[in-house]
Amino acid sequence: MSVNRIDLPQGTLDLLILRILALGPQHGWAISERVQQMSSEVLRIQQGSLYPGLHRLERRGWIKAHWGASDNNRRAKYYELTKSGFKQLEAEKDAWEKLTAAVGQVLRAV
Amino acid sequence: MLSDLYIRFRSLFRRTKVDEELDDELRFHLERQTEKYLQAGMNPEQARRQARIEFGGLPQVQEECRQARGLTFLETLARDLQFGLRMLRKSPGFTIVVVLTLALGIGANTAIFTLVNAVMLRLLPVRDPQQLVVAEWSARNRPHHLWTSSFGDCQDYEGMRSDCSLSYSMFQQIRDQKNLFANAMAFAGPAQLDLSGNGAATIAQGELVSGSYFETLGVMPAIGRTLDSGDEKPGAEPVAVLDYGYWQREFGGSPNVIGRTVRLNNTAFTIVGVADSRFTRLTPGKSVDLWVPLTQGTQLGQEWTQINTSNFGADTNRWWLVVVGRLQSGISRKQAQAAVNAIFLNDALHGTTPVWTAGDDPHLWLLPAQQGLSGIRYQYGKPLMLLLAAVGIVLLIACANVAGLMLARSAAREREMAVRLAMGAGRRRVIRQLLTESLLLSLLGAALGALLAYAGATGLAAFFSSNSYSPLRLDLEPNWRVLLFAVGVAVLTGIGFGLAPALRGARANVAMDLKGSTTTVGHGARERFGLGKWLVVMQVALSMVVLAGAGLLLRTLNKLHSIDPGFDTHNILLFSIDPELAGYNKRQISDLYATLQRRLDALPGVVDTSYSSDALLDGGLWTEDVRVEGQAHKNTVESQMLSVGPEYFETMKIPLMDGRFLGKSDMRGTQLAAVVNRQFVRRFTGGRNPIGLHFGGTDAKDPQWQIIGVVGDTKYATLQKADAPTAYVPLTAGGATFELRTAFSPVGLMPAVRNVVHEVDNNIPVIRMRTQSDAIDRLLFNERLVARLFGMFGALGLILACIGLYGLLSFDVSRRTREIGVRTALGAQRRDVLLLVLRQGFVLVVVGVTLGAAVAMVVTRLLGSLLYDVRPTDPFTFAITAVLLIAIGLIACSLPAGRATRVDPMTALRCE
Repeated sequence: MSVNRIDLPQGTLDLLILRILALGPQHGWAISERVQQMSSEVLRIQQGSLYPGLHRLERRGWIKAHWGASDNNRRAKYYELTKSGFKQLEAEKDAWEKLTAAVGQVLRAV
Repeated sequence: MLSDLYIRFRSLFRRTKVDEELDDELRFHLERQTEKYLQAGMNPEQARRQARIEFGGLPQVQEECRQARGLTFLETLARDLQFGLRMLRKSPGFTIVVVLTLALGIGANTAIFTLVNAVMLRLLPVRDPQQLVVAEWSARNRPHHLWTSSFGDCQDYEGMRSDCSLSYSMFQQIRDQKNLFANAMAFAGPAQLDLSGNGAATIAQGELVSGSYFETLGVMPAIGRTLDSGDEKPGAEPVAVLDYGYWQREFGGSPNVIGRTVRLNNTAFTIVGVADSRFTRLTPGKSVDLWVPLTQGTQLGQEWTQINTSNFGADTNRWWLVVVGRLQSGISRKQAQAAVNAIFLNDALHGTTPVWTAGDDPHLWLLPAQQGLSGIRYQYGKPLMLLLAAVGIVLLIACANVAGLMLARSAAREREMAVRLAMGAGRRRVIRQLLTESLLLSLLGAALGALLAYAGATGLAAFFSSNSYSPLRLDLEPNWRVLLFAVGVAVLTGIGFGLAPALRGARANVAMDLKGSTTTVGHGARERFGLGKWLVVMQVALSMVVLAGAGLLLRTLNKLHSIDPGFDTHNILLFSIDPELAGYNKRQISDLYATLQRRLDALPGVVDTSYSSDALLDGGLWTEDVRVEGQAHKNTVESQMLSVGPEYFETMKIPLMDGRFLGKSDMRGTQLAAVVNRQFVRRFTGGRNPIGLHFGGTDAKDPQWQIIGVVGDTKYATLQKADAPTAYVPLTAGGATFELRTAFSPVGLMPAVRNVVHEVDNNIPVIRMRTQSDAIDRLLFNERLVARLFGMFGALGLILACIGLYGLLSFDVSRRTREIGVRTALGAQRRDVLLLVLRQGFVLVVVGVTLGAAVAMVVTRLLGSLLYDVRPTDPFTFAITAVLLIAIGLIACSLPAGRATRVDPMTALRCE
C-alpha cells in the first residue's frame, strides 16, 4: 500500500465519477478501483461516500443505472453516462482546468 | 427533471424495493473488496474487517444515499402531516371548533354548488350532446291563428315572444333535411297519465315522443328495446318504454316487465323496454316516468296531439312539439339554422294561414340542446346564483373566524416557533409546516362538510320538489365537478386562513420570545391584535351584508302577504281531477261535477263548494285575444279567462258590483253568459253600461259571450302583477279544480274529501290536494327560498362573527390582565373596566356594521328582481339589521368584559 495518498478535495468526486463512466458502464466498486489505478494510487476515495455521490448524479439525470451480471457472474448495479452527463463532464472539466491553471498561476507568481 | 421526479416517486411508493436494491448494491461492493483482500493473502476474517473499515459506517451511507435520492419533499410532507396531526390532537377543543366551522362553511357551499351543478352545469346524459340542437322560434309579437302548448322546456325571453313548440309538419320538414341532420326527433309532455294494471291506479308522467327519440339521443335500452320508427306509424300497437328509476321504484326492477301490459288512460300499452340508467333527464328538472309514441296521444285522450296524417298542411297551425336534431358531421349549427329558418319563414309568413307578418320579424334558431333545453334553469338559475354568493360570504366569514383562532394560537406557539428558528429551521420550512397544518384542518373540514353537503342538497331538492307543480328530478349524485369544487374550496380556505398566521409565525422574534415575555404587551402583540381586529370587523361586515339581504326579502314577503288578492284566501281547500282521463264525455262531466259539488257541500265543516278550470293564484293562467262589442272591428284586446262552475263567486267571496253572478242555469244555457271584473269594464267598454255587451274571438266559429255581471278585481297568475281585465265564463268541459270554503282550517277535511271523490268514482285519481295558502306559498317559492336561506346563512355568519368577537376580546383581556390589575389598583371602578372592554368591542362592531352597510348598499340591488315594493337600499331594513347586529355583538362582548371586572389586582400584579 502506498503511503502518499491524498483525500479528495470537495466537489471533485462528481467529476471523477463522470470521467470514469465516460469510458463505459461500470459498477461502484470498479469505479473506486479505477480512480485509484488511474491516479497511480494517489487519490483515495472514501468508499462509503462514493455511493451517495452516485445516487445524487443519478437523480440529476447525468448517469443512469441498470442491473447486470458482473465479470464473476454476480448481480451488480451498473452506471453509465447519459447525454446530459457527457455535457456536464465537459463543463466540469473546463471549470476544473481553469481553476487549477489559475491556482497554479498564483502559486508560481509568489 | 423527469428522472428526478421518477426517482422521487419510485422512492416513495416502492420504498422497500428501493431499500433492498441499495442493500444489494452496497453488499456487492463489500464482497468484492473482501475478495480483493483475500486474493492479497489476508485470512477471511481480516479481509472482511478491513473492507468494512474502509467503507465506513453502513447505516450512515444508506441514509446519505436516501437523502441523495431526494426523498426530502414527500418525506417532509409525511413528517409535517404526522406532526400536524399530533399538534391537533394536543388541542382537541381548538381542532373541533375549527373543523366544525369549516365543515359548515364548506358543506353549505358544496350543497348549493351541487344544486347549481344539477340545474345549470351537468351535461345532457346522452351520446355526444354537443352535436344536438333544439329549434326555438322568436318574434316581436305573439303568433296569430295558432294553437300552441309548451311544457317549459325552453326559457321564455321577456319582451320577445319565443318558444320551442313547433308543428308536426315542421318537425317532418326538419327531419327530412338529411344532409343537415343525421337524425331528428320530437317530443311533448309529460302528460299526466292514469296508470293502472300495476297495483292501485297512479299518475305517471308520460312523455309523447317520435319513434326516432332514442336513436337521435343515442340512448340504449337497459333491457328490452327502445322505440323505433315502426312504433310511430299509424295503427301501430301501443307500446311504452319505462324510465330506469321509475322501473326500479314502481316495478321493483323486475326483468319480467318486458311484454307486460299496463293501462294508460284506459288504453292497453305493452311495455317493450327500459331506458339506460344513465339517461336520467333531457330537460333539467323535468321528471319523466315513461315514453310512448306521440301517435298514441289521441288514444290517451290527449286530443291536442291529433296529427292529420292525410294532410300535414292542415297541421301547420298547431304547435306542440319540441324538435331536437343531431347535426350531420361537418355541418355547423349556423349552416343548419340558415336552412331551417328559410323553411320556417316560408310556412309562417306564406303558408295557408300565416301566423306572422314580415314586420313581426320571426326567426327559427337552432340552439345547442345543452343550453336551449333550459327547463327549470330559467326559474331557479337566478336564485341559485344568489344563494351561491351568500354562501360564499359565509365561507369568507368562517375563514376570517378560523384565521382569528389560528392567530391566537400562533401567539401561544410563539415560543415553539422561536425554538425551531433558533435550532436552524428555515423560515420557509416553518411556513410550510404551519400551512400543512391549516390545510390538514381544512381538508378535515371538507370531509365532514361533504357529508353535510349531501344531506343539505337532498333536503333542498326536496324543498324544491315539494314546491313544484310537477315532480321535479335533480341529479344530485356528486360528480367530478362537485368533488373538484369541494377540494378546491378546502385548499383555498386552508391557504386563506393559514397564510397570515404562518407568515407571522415565521417572523417570530427569536431573542424576545425565548426570553419569555408573553404577558407584557410587546410590539408584536399589538400588531397581531391589529390583524385580529380587522378579521372581526370583516366578519361583522360580511354578516351585515347577508342579513341585510335577508331583511329585504323578509320585508318583501311581508308586503306580498299583505296584498289584497280580491278574494278570501283563508280556509280554502283545493284539489284537481281530470275525468276525461277516465273516459268521461262532456255530458257525463257536468253531471259528475254537479254530483261532487252537492256531496262535498254536504260535508260537515264545508261552507261552500265550487269548481273552475284553474284555481286563482295556483300557477295557471289562461288568456284570450277577444274583441269587445262596440270596439273597432279589427281591434282585439287580451283578457284573462277563467271558466267557473255555479256559486264560484260566493265560494271565493268575490264581491258583486253590478248585474248578477253566474248560476246553475247559465251552465247549460244556449245564451253564453259571462261575468267580467272591474278592470275589464274600465279598460274595454269605453264607459258604456257593460251589462248586455258581447265579447269573444275574432273568428266566426269562436264563442261570443254576453256580459251579465261585474265583479271585483282579483289577482290571478301572481300576487305581484297588477289587477288585469278578466272574464269568467261557464265551465262546460275538461278537468277542473274544486274549491271548498271551510269553516275552519281545511287540512283536517282532506281524507273526507278524498273519500267522497272515491265513493263517486274510484277510477278518478285526485290530483294535488292543497290549501289555497299552500298554493300561494308555492307561487312565492323563489322569494321564500332565498329569504329562508339568506336568513339561515346570515344567522350562521352572525354566530361565527360573535364567536370571533368573543374570542378576540377574551384573548385581549387575558393579555391585559396586568394592565387591568394596575388600573384597578389605582382606583378604577368596575364600571370603568367594563366600559373599557365594551367600548373596544362596540367600536369593532360599529365599524363592521358601517362597512357592511356600505357594501350591502351596492350589492343588494342584485336581489332587485325578487323584491316587491321594497327598495334594495330600504333604510328601515338597514336600520333594523344594524341595531340587531350591534345588540347581539354587545352581548358577545359582555362576557369577556364581565371577566375583566373580576380581575384581582393582587394576583394580576404578582404573576409577573
